[in-house]
Amino acid sequence: MQQLIAFFKRFRVFLVFIILQVFAISTYVQYLSFPQSQYLTSASYFGGKSFALRYGIMKHFELENTNKKLQLENVALRKKTINNLYQINRHLFKVSDTTYAQQYDFISCLITNSNTGKLNNYFTIDGGELQGIKRGMGVFSQKGVVGVIHNTSEHYSVVKSVLTQNINIDVLILPINLYGFLKWDGKDPRRCSITGITNDVKIRKGSKVVTKGGSGVFPKGLLVGYVEKLRPVEGKPLWDVVVRFSEDYRRLDRVYVIKNLFIEEQRDLEKKIPNNAKEPTL
Amino acid sequence: MNIIIVGFFRFILFVFLQIFIFNQIELGFGIHLLMCPLYVFLLPFEINLFVSMALAFGMGAIVDVFSNTYGLHASSLLLMAYLRPIIFKFFSPREEYDPLKTPTYYDMGHLWYFSAFGALLLIHNSWFFILEAFSFKSFLYTLQKIILSFLIIYLFSLLMQVFFFRRSKK
Repeated sequence: MQQLIAFFKRFRVFLVFIILQVFAISTYVQYLSFPQSQYLTSASYFGGKSFALRYGIMKHFELENTNKKLQLENVALRKKTINNLYQINRHLFKVSDTTYAQQYDFISCLITNSNTGKLNNYFTIDGGELQGIKRGMGVFSQKGVVGVIHNTSEHYSVVKSVLTQNINIDVLILPINLYGFLKWDGKDPRRCSITGITNDVKIRKGSKVVTKGGSGVFPKGLLVGYVEKLRPVEGKPLWDVVVRFSEDYRRLDRVYVIKNLFIEEQRDLEKKIPNNAKEPTL
Repeated sequence: MNIIIVGFFRFILFVFLQIFIFNQIELGFGIHLLMCPLYVFLLPFEINLFVSMALAFGMGAIVDVFSNTYGLHASSLLLMAYLRPIIFKFFSPREEYDPLKTPTYYDMGHLWYFSAFGALLLIHNSWFFILEAFSFKSFLYTLQKIILSFLIIYLFSLLMQVFFFRRSKK
């Protein structure tokens, strides 16, 4: 017993070090896979508040740019209002529409904190559960896809941006409707790549890349970027398609959160697929 | 008493600078401006190891909360605090460390500062970036991050001392 106590006395510094180290690393590894508590992120009350404060100071430096962007968007939207359209068929034109039902709702938010230089980049936005934001909703900006809601609190949320390693958004390369997964290699915040595309298809440089909208997180046809070049993968009959993002994530400011009003319906329907049904393998 | 108050304010200042200024500066090439190691390094020579470890861990945890990294800073700063006395002993001058002096560039000379802070910073950066990558897949890029960040942080640490620290009174 005495020896045991002597042992602990001798190695107590090392023991404290090991305990704290194990604690830190295990929380880090856990957070990499799934967030368990929201209290220790920038979505927490204190973290969100202080970043909102910083944003309150910093936003003035970007004011002119933001105004310009909003004005452009206003012009684009104004073109689409009924007042500014020429009515062709005067008798049948109706404003109340039964052919179309609203499927996607958008919540506008401001980014209060963002990084682009890390291996996994998360953005904090100033909307939370009060606005009806939930984990798994899509986020986009004027120019392109931004990410998926990762974690929410009452007033703030953390967005897992497309600049994270395992984001896996399903996308289409447009004129030929080719389907693939978006990946980011953690280096360049302006470019990403699409994997899983065989090298027998011809892809033109500059073709549009948009979201596929299969999982109901993003609507179909949301812009992601443009194909910049094709790189052959060594030893495999595959292309590594390099895509240049249409949005500059280093200067991102205003985003929209996508609320799919039919998501429950889609999930319920997809749940009814029996588990033992044989799925087609690629 | 005085030293505790100064240490407390320095703690707040470093956390504040790291979260609101250095975290926002993105230089590209994978460079991270991690200035917290400088705080851990500049703790007094005579400090209890438990206290320095607790301070390093606490600082790391706070910075983690604000940059969504969950334990990455805490882990690497803790490692640095633990290894600090060992490195100090290794590079100790012929006589014992003078308790009136602080481990700054001014008090200890450039050669000592470069070897002690350099060694600790290199360990800290390696641990930080390897843990961040969590694999050896793109090791060259990780290596580039470690070395470029090392150079920039070292430069900034000298600048900060030139601007904010004085030679302690003999």
